[in-house]
Amino acid sequence: MANSIETIDTNIDYRRRQRLGRLGHKAVILFGALLLAFYALAPISWLVSSSLQTEAEIVSVPPHWIPDEPTLQNFRAIFSAGEDEPVTYETRSGADPVSGGFIPSSASSLLPSMWNSTIVATLVVILNLLVGVPAAYAIAKIRYWGRNASMYFILITRVIPDIALVVPFFLVIRKLGMLDTIGSLVITYLAVTVPFTVFILVQFFEGLPDELDKAARVDGCSRFQAMVRVFLPLSLPSLVAVVLFTFLTSWNEFLLALMFTQTEASQTLPILLASFTSDFTVSFSFLNAAGVLAIVPPVIVAIIFERYIVSGLTAGAVKG
Amino acid sequence: MANTAIHKATRRSLLDRYGYEERSAVLFLAPVMLVLMSVAVFPILYSFYLSFFRMKLTRPNNQPFIWFENYSDLLTNELFWVSVSRTVVFTLISVSAIAVIALLVALLLNQEFKGRRVLSTIILIPWAIPYVANALMWKWIYDSGYGALNGALYQLDFIDKYMVWLGDQDKTLPLIANAFVWKEVPLAAILLLVSLKAIPADLYQAARVDGATVWQRFIHITLPAMKPGFMLVMIYETMMAIRHFDLFFILTEGGPGDASHVLSWHIYVETFRNLSFGSGAAMSYLLALATFALSYFFIRTLGRRI
Repeated sequence: MANSIETIDTNIDYRRRQRLGRLGHKAVILFGALLLAFYALAPISWLVSSSLQTEAEIVSVPPHWIPDEPTLQNFRAIFSAGEDEPVTYETRSGADPVSGGFIPSSASSLLPSMWNSTIVATLVVILNLLVGVPAAYAIAKIRYWGRNASMYFILITRVIPDIALVVPFFLVIRKLGMLDTIGSLVITYLAVTVPFTVFILVQFFEGLPDELDKAARVDGCSRFQAMVRVFLPLSLPSLVAVVLFTFLTSWNEFLLALMFTQTEASQTLPILLASFTSDFTVSFSFLNAAGVLAIVPPVIVAIIFERYIVSGLTAGAVKG
Repeated sequence: MANTAIHKATRRSLLDRYGYEERSAVLFLAPVMLVLMSVAVFPILYSFYLSFFRMKLTRPNNQPFIWFENYSDLLTNELFWVSVSRTVVFTLISVSAIAVIALLVALLLNQEFKGRRVLSTIILIPWAIPYVANALMWKWIYDSGYGALNGALYQLDFIDKYMVWLGDQDKTLPLIANAFVWKEVPLAAILLLVSLKAIPADLYQAARVDGATVWQRFIHITLPAMKPGFMLVMIYETMMAIRHFDLFFILTEGGPGDASHVLSWHIYVETFRNLSFGSGAAMSYLLALATFALSYFFIRTLGRRI
């Protein structure tokens, strides 16, 4: 009798400890989740908050974490920069010369540079698919001598640091008279992005059964038809991932664009942003607004296509 | 007789089919190979060739072939060795920080809890934004006059006066590394999460039955299972850190003094400010070679199963 009571007692004790443990576990997770959200979002929130402040507010000490009077004047300055109305802040004359409060004349290039970035990225995406899909299909589904070698070759080119390519690129592109054209960016970005495209697509195609390919061939499809009619429709998710990566990489690229572009004709958004940051007289709030504009498109893309991005990123890791 | 004829016919048709496969493979691969040959292989060979010339754009008519002088000059170039050591320090700080933080993030995201999906979307944001915008953001955070870092630390009483963060030789590299880590952690965490998810749950069950504590389970099951993922992340991030350029360009331009004068910045200055393309090419080639050596392992891990 006494024995059984004892057992029950320890049982209760055990359960309680388990419940406490689970509570502690939950607390740790909650704390970790909040910390992580803060870590990821705090810098960006600060940038957004200061892009909504006036020049007078932004130079306050200590800083205003939340703007007293949120204003869109910085964004208005960017979007009206191309028009007749001069791009100035009325407060500029009163502003502290050290802290700037000045909008550079190149502000009017900001929207054209966004347009350039978009065109370059779009062209790079299209060329990537045209060049990358057949290559990936061949490596995944055609049995030919040197399959492994060609995959290695494609991956190895991605290992070359961009900075090592810059000197010869510059000389060649200068010789071709392509400096300061969008074409120079499209070609070089294509080379930078296509290895990863092929890599992701090969992983995906390999996951599709060989029988599909054989069935298509028996039905009289050529290799090309099998690829276009059978494999492309099935590989939509990985195609989306490829499109996203390529687009983001091109949109974000800086070093090559820094070398090849000089004027509004080809300057991309990162180049223009960088030129603002090196000018100490530029208004902080204007700078931050420009930064926010550069962040918004990729962030929206990332949020909408989160699932595709993660599955694309992990395609390699699963196999490795 | 007829037998051999049939035999011959089958063999020819086999050969034909074999040829068709080879031919279509060549056709399918031709575009990608053409692009990579002209925009990756050719430049790297060309830069190797250039590295044997004394090539200053300021003296276009005097570009002699000088054998290995560009390379041997590097041995005695003090700034080059400074830049190598800065690169090593930056890489070590960044990669170790990324490994630790990404591991914690991956462990967290591997748990089931409310809001996990939202959180995993949120952490993609740093990954998605351009490096230049990242640099601009951190430059503003570190700003000595009105930045958030000064403001926050001052309000929390950690400092009693505003500090010049990036202008301090000892703090520059860690601060730039921090900006780099913030942007690189998401990708590293996602890659680690994959290898975490691949661990079968029964392993933990069995260990629990055997009385293993949380810590023991972590050391003996989780960490060993994550080894390939870790390898991948370490090597990839090392490659990214060694070649990183954007943050240095915007945050410090190699300064203050030579405190953040990393190799990629050194190559940029040598090539495009001093306009000595020959020695710039020589250094690019060394950097490419170093990355090749490192990434040999990278390709081995990634490409093994292809």
